[in-house]
Amino acid sequence: MLILEEVCVRRGRSVTLSDVSLTLAPGRTLAVVGESGAGKSTLINAILGFAKTTGTITWGGAPVRDCRPALVMQEPRAAFNPVLSLRHSVLEPLRARGLPSDQPRLSRLCAGLELTEALLERRPGEVSVGQAQRVGILRALIAAPKLVLFDEPLSALDAVTQKRTARLIADLQREEGFAALIVTHDLGYAAAFSDDIVVLRAGLVEEQGASAAFVARPKTAYGCQLRDAAFSLGALERAA
Amino acid sequence: MIETLLGLLTRAIVVLSGTALATFTLLWHAPGDPAAAIAQARFDAIVSEEVVAQVRAEAGLDQGYWSAFWAWLGPLLRGDFGFSSVSGNPVGPELWAAIGYTLPLALAGLAIGVAISVPLAILATRNPGGWLDRFAIALASLGAAIPVYWLGLLLVLLFAVQLNWLPAMGARTAAHLVLPALTLGFGVAASLTRILRSGILEARGKPFLPALRRRGVEEAAIGRDHVARHAAIPVVTVLGLELAFLLEGAVVVELIFARPGLGTFLVTAIEARDFPKVQAVVILTALLFVSINLIIDVIYRLIDPRIGARDA
Amino acid sequence: MTLTVTGLSVERSGRTILYPTSLSIEAGERVGIVGASGSGKSTLGHALIDALRRDGVSVAHVTQTPDDALDPLRTMGFHWSEAERALGTTPDVNRRTALFEALSIAHGDLRKRPWGWSRGMQQRFVIAMALIGTPDLIVLDEPTSALDPVVAARTMDLLDDCLSGGTTAMLLITHDLALAARRVDRLVVLDMGRVVENASTDRLLAAPQSKCARALCAHKSWLVMPC
Repeated sequence: MLILEEVCVRRGRSVTLSDVSLTLAPGRTLAVVGESGAGKSTLINAILGFAKTTGTITWGGAPVRDCRPALVMQEPRAAFNPVLSLRHSVLEPLRARGLPSDQPRLSRLCAGLELTEALLERRPGEVSVGQAQRVGILRALIAAPKLVLFDEPLSALDAVTQKRTARLIADLQREEGFAALIVTHDLGYAAAFSDDIVVLRAGLVEEQGASAAFVARPKTAYGCQLRDAAFSLGALERAA
Repeated sequence: MIETLLGLLTRAIVVLSGTALATFTLLWHAPGDPAAAIAQARFDAIVSEEVVAQVRAEAGLDQGYWSAFWAWLGPLLRGDFGFSSVSGNPVGPELWAAIGYTLPLALAGLAIGVAISVPLAILATRNPGGWLDRFAIALASLGAAIPVYWLGLLLVLLFAVQLNWLPAMGARTAAHLVLPALTLGFGVAASLTRILRSGILEARGKPFLPALRRRGVEEAAIGRDHVARHAAIPVVTVLGLELAFLLEGAVVVELIFARPGLGTFLVTAIEARDFPKVQAVVILTALLFVSINLIIDVIYRLIDPRIGARDA
Repeated sequence: MTLTVTGLSVERSGRTILYPTSLSIEAGERVGIVGASGSGKSTLGHALIDALRRDGVSVAHVTQTPDDALDPLRTMGFHWSEAERALGTTPDVNRRTALFEALSIAHGDLRKRPWGWSRGMQQRFVIAMALIGTPDLIVLDEPTSALDPVVAARTMDLLDDCLSGGTTAMLLITHDLALAARRVDRLVVLDMGRVVENASTDRLLAAPQSKCARALCAHKSWLVMPC
């Protein structure tokens, strides 16, 4: 269980995150939504230990870094070393933990992500963005992490690919049982695939709670703004 | 903007202080006895120990390190370069005279360099990879590889000796400026062409240019109003540095063409262990480099205020 | 005035990116070109713009992100005057004020460089520049992808208001059917360089004919809210 208690992140004179508290249980999905600059990526950096934080971030009572959370990044092709094969990059987490390469697991995850193993022999620049992102997810899951962080995992993909990839992530989560923290600006995605939601605004938690409840009836004016924007852009639809 | 200017000025002052200290220390610890060398140069004969001691006292070389340093730095801060240890004459006038020969040469060299490189780079980048472009690159490499003395001597041989169009030695008339300026200008053109070419090509690759064209802005206006500014940034650096190098006195060129400039001044002073003169030149050069860098930094920030800012 | 192009095709290094396509747009009509990445929609957009311009039609193009439209070394005011000059229109402060107000950027400082404005304001400035000469057609390529949803929604609403009642037609190119469906009257679906369907928004959403359109419709939105 991921627990954040009164986490603050300061950079110089500005406060990028202020007093953030949240929990995330195994197998559940938490969506973090908000505009650019609201602190969503800072939150991920804080959990990964890349930002100086006050407050506590723990997993199962121990510092969160001990559970070695995995990360899926926004820009798939920039997330890989361009001169190495995808297979090499995918097996990196296993090498980093000193684990042997696990072929059956790799095959199973490939199937679950609709990837062929032949694709892994290619370099990042030789595959499509959608494929590259699924390989990124494969790399994140190869070492069976208990917590996976997603930083705008779908923004680089087109509409249809987004929906397909989201479904694959959800299916794999049911199989593997990891906790997922998904940072996204797409309220539609958050509404459809997350259990709980945290709305960040200028480093503060504006609203948090169950996603369905939030989308049905946001408690704050800002929350309503986000929801109305999602309707306006077609991410959410009102039933006739 | 004021903040950045103050910051840059502070940095400049720190660099100058460091240079003063470093120069003085190096000369202080130079091998051999400076007093003996000065005495020898002054009297043009092997001199006795008392005379050397006298020279040492006169030149202030018998004091401690810090006293000598302050004794030297004080007047410098007032603009007084002191007196030559060898001739006893004030350094100032001789220094300015030397600069008077070097400055026109430096400016002429720079002008020739710019006059060659700017049109060449612009024409070459019209057709990247074309024959003119490759010629420009080859010329740039050649210019960097050719030793200055070789080119200088070649020009003298051709234009002064064979064709007898231009004078070879001295600095009497404006015509005397041509060959040395050409020699220097060729080297300047080489580096400027290369940097201008890559600057233009990179500026041409900026993502907003297609949108400008689609908006109907003419190619000439795009080049003048947009590409030029972006390309200018690397060019400003190189121009500034080239000018600084040229002003410090291209010694070899001055020696070949027998021009009494800053370079010759410095070499003679070093040979004669003439501390005041050497130090004057070094401080002047440092001042020059620091000032030119300051101007470059300010120009950058005028073109693109994001440079150097914390959230660029 | 109906804008028509016929036989548009694009080939690049031996591969056909766009098969011969014809398209017509009525005055003031709003059309969306929808397709997956690599389907050729941007290519069609560019080819369309070039062809229409050759026929003397005034077409404005709004890029995906303001970084692709503005020179960071030049002030916003310079960009505006430059655009006016390029169009050959006389500088008209009233028109500028009207457009700025319509797109909610009247408070922007024209002496600033682009990075001194927020991204949303930059994008609306680019749209305003596009509308200076009241073009016959304005083409928007993925106009919301580089903006936050709240800002994007606002920008699209303001654009809608700006265009409504005018003669300027709008072409919206996007991979997001949901976005297009809300803003356009007619949808053109592109798949692998070919137009596979061309129908009014209502008809396409109700009964998509082609496989591609059916897939797009099935994946249109994330969630249907009961409200």
